Amino acid sequence: MMKQYFDDLVNGIEAKIKEDPGSMSPRKIYALEVAKIGRRLYGGEERVAWCGVTAPFDLLAAMGITSCFVEFVGAMLASTGMVSEFLAEAEQAGFAGDTCAYHKSVLGAARKNLMPVPDFLIATSCPCTGGLAVMENLARHFKKDLFVLNIPQEETDQSVQYLADQIQDMVRFVSNHTGEPLSEDRFREAIANTNKAREIMVDVYKMAMNLPSPANGRLFGNFGIVVALLLGTQAAVDVATVYRDSFKEMLKNKVSGIPNERYRLLWIQNRIQFKNPLIEILETQYNASIISDELNDITWDPINPDNPYIGLARRAISIPFNGQGRRRIRHLQQMAKDYRIDGAINPCHWGCRQGSGARGLVSKGLGEIGVPVLNLEVDCIDSRNFAQGQLKTRLEAFIEMLDNRSSPWN
Amino acid sequence: MTNMKKEKIGFTCAYTPIAMADAAGYIPYRVLPVSEVPDQAGRILHDNLCPHVKRVLDRALENDLPEDLTGMIFMNSCDAMRRLADAWMETRPKDKVIILDLPTTPEKIDISFFAQELSRLSDTLAAWSGSRITAGKILQSIDQYNRIADRIQTLNSFLADGKLKGSGKRLQELINLATSIPFEDSLKLLDDEIIKNKNHPAEMNGIPVFLFGNVMPDPEFFSLIEDCGVQIIGNDFCTSTRMFSQLPCKKEESIFAQLSGHILGKPPCARSFDPSHPGKIADDVVQKAKSLGARGVIGHSLKFCDPYLARLPMVRDTIQGTEIPLLLLEGDCTLRSFGQQKTRIEAFAEMLR
Ligand code: SF4
Ligand code: SF4
Repeated sequence: MMKQYFDDLVNGIEAKIKEDPGSMSPRKIYALEVAKIGRRLYGGEERVAWCGVTAPFDLLAAMGITSCFVEFVGAMLASTGMVSEFLAEAEQAGFAGDTCAYHKSVLGAARKNLMPVPDFLIATSCPCTGGLAVMENLARHFKKDLFVLNIPQEETDQSVQYLADQIQDMVRFVSNHTGEPLSEDRFREAIANTNKAREIMVDVYKMAMNLPSPANGRLFGNFGIVVALLLGTQAAVDVATVYRDSFKEMLKNKVSGIPNERYRLLWIQNRIQFKNPLIEILETQYNASIISDELNDITWDPINPDNPYIGLARRAISIPFNGQGRRRIRHLQQMAKDYRIDGAINPCHWGCRQGSGARGLVSKGLGEIGVPVLNLEVDCIDSRNFAQGQLKTRLEAFIEMLDNRSSPWN
Repeated sequence: MTNMKKEKIGFTCAYTPIAMADAAGYIPYRVLPVSEVPDQAGRILHDNLCPHVKRVLDRALENDLPEDLTGMIFMNSCDAMRRLADAWMETRPKDKVIILDLPTTPEKIDISFFAQELSRLSDTLAAWSGSRITAGKILQSIDQYNRIADRIQTLNSFLADGKLKGSGKRLQELINLATSIPFEDSLKLLDDEIIKNKNHPAEMNGIPVFLFGNVMPDPEFFSLIEDCGVQIIGNDFCTSTRMFSQLPCKKEESIFAQLSGHILGKPPCARSFDPSHPGKIADDVVQKAKSLGARGVIGHSLKFCDPYLARLPMVRDTIQGTEIPLLLLEGDCTLRSFGQQKTRIEAFAEMLR
């Protein structure tokens, strides 16, 4: 079923581009590459690893492993409108309704044989405790070996070395399963691709900061987190390049992401993954554009190919969801300044303790620099209780409030 | 009581190396989620965080804490605990605070990293107290801690044999005290209790059950459970016996490495695990219940606690393959919902008869 779905998706996008090359948008290329990951995961021909969010996907790619964080499956099931059945399956099996629905849907999918059996699993302790727990459950379910990367909270020389050493242990673990050592040449090539994509993405994000922004609520949603899956491959470079070229062109022609951009908004943490009209309402009724997501940023330095494990470790530790809340807030404040953000939207995904648990401090931190935050109460995966009318009213009130205040950047 | 002038350093997790706080001249004080103050932590955190951290934050918000509590040691045990540390620093900016990273696995590499964290704790405590902490002093405090753990173990075995007067309730009262007073006072208290109970006849007033879960510090809970027709012969909570397990450190050199190995090697709670044996927690619960001769198992977890909520289905599946029935309860650190649970526990006890 899923193989068919991804095959159709890849073929459909490719056919459309072939038929009408002018329809090729950055989002389409991005969707195509992501669909290709899905096709490989479900194709049954490649070595597959289910992972945590902060696994080094470029290194795994260099080792010939198709790897993906499990939450991707939850997001995909939600976006295709199929998630309810899998959530119900997990709940039936005793997984509490109060837990993160990304994880519940994955557990439901595994129980219904909708997840390809991996060769092994690589868990990461960041971003969340629930993510680790789901990996332990999956390892028991699939009866496959599990490797855990403990991501330290703070970046110190010792903590970076600790993670770098773990990543090297991970390489041995993977080699033991594949029977193949890591090829130094392939690893270098992967790091070169990562660094190249990184450099282009830095430009892309910079261009998105422009006033008005070439970005909009659909172009860039989930970008930073999902593009990590492509790192180490040419696909990451290609995707970043089409975004850069497209933004360059837009800026040259003075075309903005939405017409008459009035309010520039920042989306905190993850998007609502199922179809919903909130972004469209914001853009069409209020000329308010989501010009960035919290994770659409490069928080790490280029990786030194001569000492790559240290760079990979620093990258994992640097993600904004790691560490103390004040670090995350500093990052959000910086983004708000860079993008000249008028307001932020925090969906407060139900079940996400690491994210929603910082709700009050995030509001306070952005409030201190004059950026108001709209806290919603949404489950970003589970559409069963989506209160559209109520949310629409909250958005209206938020925009009204923005109408009545001056921009923090004037 | 001795050492009345010592300041208190708070903690909230059973993995906290409290012997080091003692070695630095502080009284380690467990900030339990027990209080009459109003619920308001959800405003800063979110209502969907576990009641353990919300209640602890409520206490900070209302200053329902000992006056001589001047700092906190937080462990990075789970998302909720990290967010509590953030909120604590915001709420009580004058407190000294340290957050220790706590690996989830007990591999060699994890032990050596955690040893560095312990060394950082030692330096921090020394800076807070203004005096150096020697390895010899740490070893002495560990030795005292081990003696407390030994006494708790003895009392726990009294509980298993039905010899402990006051049963599960009394054990919890003692553990709560032992986590809030100076080590030497704890030892005296526990020694006295052992003497009092040594010759107490064994009594079985209900069906023997094994209790496990995360956080339940209210002693009343244990007697209410026993009033339903069961007798607790063993319990495994972060707030009970899991708080004290032997840390057999022997020598001064490499003290942090030894301590780290023993802490990470402790019988794990749900937030830690052995990757080579996924779901071991489920097998451990069954094994413990069997070894104690329990006829039933009661699991009690807090709402919104990811480490437990995600592992309870494994416990349920594993226990289903045995003769031992399981009852799962969900709570909020208080006895507010005990009325509803009572009927279920009574029915469970009835079924075990
Ligand atoms: S939403 Fe939160 S709990 Fe869920 S996967 Fe993401 S970080 Fe983890
Ligand atoms: S382990 Fe569970 S009960 Fe303990 S602080 Fe974390 S979420 Fe709360």
